[in-house]
Amino acid sequence: MSSAEAVAPAPRRRGVNPPVILLVGSVALYVSVALATGQPMMLHLDGIVGLLQRMVGLGLVAIGQTFAILVGSIDLSVANLISVAAVLASYIMQGRPDMMAPAVAAVLAISAIVGAINGALISRLEVNPLIATLGVGLFLQGILSASFTNFAGSVPKEFQAVAYGTFGAAPYSVIGLFVLAFLAWLLLRATKFGAHLYAVGGNSEGARLAGIRTDRVMIGAHTLCSLCAGLTGLYLASRLRSGAPWVGRDGVYDLESIAVVVIGGTLLAGGRGGVWGTLAGVLLFAVLDASFNMLGVSAYPKLVLRGLIVIAAVAVYTVRSKELTA
Amino acid sequence: MESGSLALEMVGITKSFPAIRALDDVTFACAKGEVHALCGENGAGKSTLMKILAGAYQPDSGRILLDGRAVAFSHPAAARKAGISVIHQELSLLPHRSVAENVFLGVEPTRYGVLDRARMRVDSQRLLRRLGSSISPHAEAGRLSIAQQQVVEIAKALAFDARILVMDEPTAALDGAEASRLLDLVKRLSAEGVTLVYVSHRMPEIQAVADRVTVLKDGRAVMTAPIGEAPTSRLVRAMVGRDLADFYPSRAAKPPGAPALTIRSACNHRLANIDLVVRSGEIVGVAGLEGCGKTELGRAIAGDEPFESGTMEIAGAIVAPRHPRAALAAGVGRLSEDRKREALLMQQSLRDNATLIQRAFAPSFGVPTAAPMGVEETDERLRRLDVRAANFEQEARQLSGGNQQKVIVARLLARDPAVLVFAEPTRGVDVAAKAAIYRIMRDFADRGRGILMISSDLPEIVGVSDRILIMREGRVAGELPGGANEEAIMAIAVGHEESAGATLQ
Repeated sequence: MSSAEAVAPAPRRRGVNPPVILLVGSVALYVSVALATGQPMMLHLDGIVGLLQRMVGLGLVAIGQTFAILVGSIDLSVANLISVAAVLASYIMQGRPDMMAPAVAAVLAISAIVGAINGALISRLEVNPLIATLGVGLFLQGILSASFTNFAGSVPKEFQAVAYGTFGAAPYSVIGLFVLAFLAWLLLRATKFGAHLYAVGGNSEGARLAGIRTDRVMIGAHTLCSLCAGLTGLYLASRLRSGAPWVGRDGVYDLESIAVVVIGGTLLAGGRGGVWGTLAGVLLFAVLDASFNMLGVSAYPKLVLRGLIVIAAVAVYTVRSKELTA
Repeated sequence: MESGSLALEMVGITKSFPAIRALDDVTFACAKGEVHALCGENGAGKSTLMKILAGAYQPDSGRILLDGRAVAFSHPAAARKAGISVIHQELSLLPHRSVAENVFLGVEPTRYGVLDRARMRVDSQRLLRRLGSSISPHAEAGRLSIAQQQVVEIAKALAFDARILVMDEPTAALDGAEASRLLDLVKRLSAEGVTLVYVSHRMPEIQAVADRVTVLKDGRAVMTAPIGEAPTSRLVRAMVGRDLADFYPSRAAKPPGAPALTIRSACNHRLANIDLVVRSGEIVGVAGLEGCGKTELGRAIAGDEPFESGTMEIAGAIVAPRHPRAALAAGVGRLSEDRKREALLMQQSLRDNATLIQRAFAPSFGVPTAAPMGVEETDERLRRLDVRAANFEQEARQLSGGNQQKVIVARLLARDPAVLVFAEPTRGVDVAAKAAIYRIMRDFADRGRGILMISSDLPEIVGVSDRILIMREGRVAGELPGGANEEAIMAIAVGHEESAGATLQ
């Protein structure tokens, strides 16, 4: 390459594009299905709040998964950790309001420990992230299934407010999701840790040679990821009023969280992407759910469509990325 | 030699890559059963020529003839089918498979559609015997010594009925006795009618085994001669004799100052008894052939593969960096020889790339990406290094090699280290950027810092260094003043000092 060639036109800031396209596409799909099926009330406040509420469970865990994937890793243990968190919360609470704080503290502590273990396995022992988190996930599920066979304990009415309470028209859970997304964005955008996360995901060896303690970054990213899974578990316990050892698995939160992160434009290899794209991916999935409900179609074609969307998204990003390479 | 007896002819081969013309009208021919040595400096075009022969690259122009018939290989498999086998420096055996499975990899015999393991065993044993080896076909390839693996690679080539065998630096990882056994094997194959292309820059081996020798330099074949007419001194001159380009900066104006980097009797598993001093204001070049330990020296100083014994001082203070972060903290930066793998964040902005080390050492809390890092300061540094980009938010992958290299240099300079190790500073960089990088290095030294420049590019070593250290087999084998001639350097590097009368330690 000659130096004259180097002066290429500046690329558009592509970090913004996938979320915007997804957002516009999702809204258009939702509106047209609502109108086409003669259900305009779905476009009123209640319908939209209902749509946003569909985003909360997957949204919380997917924000966490974004950290894991950005740093060049992946977390398959989230679904199992969500079950652990939900069961643990309702088991500790046993319907008693005074046990809410200890239960939440215990869930978050366990989540952080699981995340730190994931990160340490991957960075210190250099276990492949798929295997490390799969193993940790199976371990958690095994312990959980051995200890509980059904709904365990219950959450007090006060705790159900997490899922059902509202602030004006806005449910606490939806507000919480967007606050968490904003905090995650701030962390990625404006802190040293966030910058290191992109650096390790982009070129782990380069980051290490530049003096970044890559193992700490990896452990931090996984700790955040697991904490988000823990929050999801708490939310599910609140919504279901109790926790059962299958809630995470039934939600397919492991694979779906990875899918929405990738749809949102975050590179599976790490180093590029962000949390708003993930949230747009979650919105798209929520819109698909709502649309199929409105159309009264069974759930299976929805799975097919989701699969196609994941593949199409990755193919489109790959092509665009190649076009941009000098 | 009339063309009837030629097993291989490559005529007028030209190959260009975006930055460089790798081969320029090269003609190379081997008689049947000949051992033809191919030598030249790193980057002279040897491996490109061999990759074209092996079908890995297509030439831009030129013809290849086998036994007088024109051939064209669109794919390595086609070349292999035509009887050309290449044994690379890095061996390619599957470590967990047996010798027999490796020998027949890709040409497994079958019987009724089922692998014929018995035949694989018998045939591979026969091939190994023919090579005078007693390796068991059952042995797991990864447990064999490097020398034995080499023999298995040769057996593998013969299983393909290779008539032309290319060996790339086959003795690089062998000890003296193993190397001489390998040379015997080469002669034996040649006596059986196999044509061998022996790529090496080890002069004694070439003298011992080759029938003829061709020297490549800067992508041209500058000499082909029977070995009897090509004494080592003539070969060395042919390999290095070229005009010094005039884009090198002038040498240090002032005499060097206090030691910036001092290393005393330092060792690790790849390096033995390293003693060296880099003074402030000085650029010390480190030359040597591939595998001589010069890359490892840079890694050791920068804490990546640290020294295990001995002492190291930075600006008078004893340090022992155990990892890169500690070395950076002590004031040593290193420019990696592999910027894609070890330095660049390809999909991130130039600013992000240029501030990576600063960020690694920034205080833990606070807003690091823009303001405190100083966008202005970073941009100013990138401008001063003449990074050519549309804007500094551009992604690193969109830049040319030279501009990428300058961004990495900016990253290192941001911490203002006392000592910088530049490993292959201009690899894959165009001429204009090369000159710019040399100027940056000289400026840095003039500000009282020390530079250790590790390079396989001899003209660069000669043109830029104030002093030159030459490494061989993990040691500093000699030292020459800046501007020393390339032949003298090469003579020390290949272990042929007497021919050049170089000063030795």
